[in-house]
Amino acid sequence: MAGIDPGSAWRLHPQVSVRPEPFGALLYHFGTRRLSFLKDRTLLRVVQGLQDATDARAACAAAGVSDDHLPVYLRALGTLAESSMIVERPAGDHGAEHAA
Amino acid sequence: MSRSEQSNSTATDVDEVIEADSLVEEVSIDGMCGVY
Repeated sequence: MAGIDPGSAWRLHPQVSVRPEPFGALLYHFGTRRLSFLKDRTLLRVVQGLQDATDARAACAAAGVSDDHLPVYLRALGTLAESSMIVERPAGDHGAEHAA
Repeated sequence: MSRSEQSNSTATDVDEVIEADSLVEEVSIDGMCGVY
C-alpha cells in the first residue's frame, strides 16, 4: 500500500472504536468487523489527531513524527485507509457540524 | 544514478514498507465463534 498524500485530510471512520493499549492501540471497525493493531504509541497519537489537523502531515508533526519518519507513518495511514479505519474528509472540515 | 545508489534507494524503500507494515497489523474476526 502506498502512503496517503500528506496534504490530504482524514478522520477516523465513525464506526471505528479506539482502545489504547500499552503496545499502541486496538482499532475495531463495527462495520467490517476488522481489527487493526497499532503497534506504536506515536501512530496512535497521529490517528487521534487526524480529525483536528489540517492534513495528515500536520497530524504527524503534532504527534512528534520527524520528517525522516514521515513516509513510514504515511504508509501506515495508507494501510488504515485501505481497510476503511480512516476515511478522507474535505480539507478544512474539522467535524464542526458534529459539534453544533 | 550508480548501481550502488540505486541499490541503497531500493533498500530504503523496502525498509520503509517493512517498518510501516510492522506498525499496523490487521485481523478479521469474521468466522470466529464466541468472541462477539
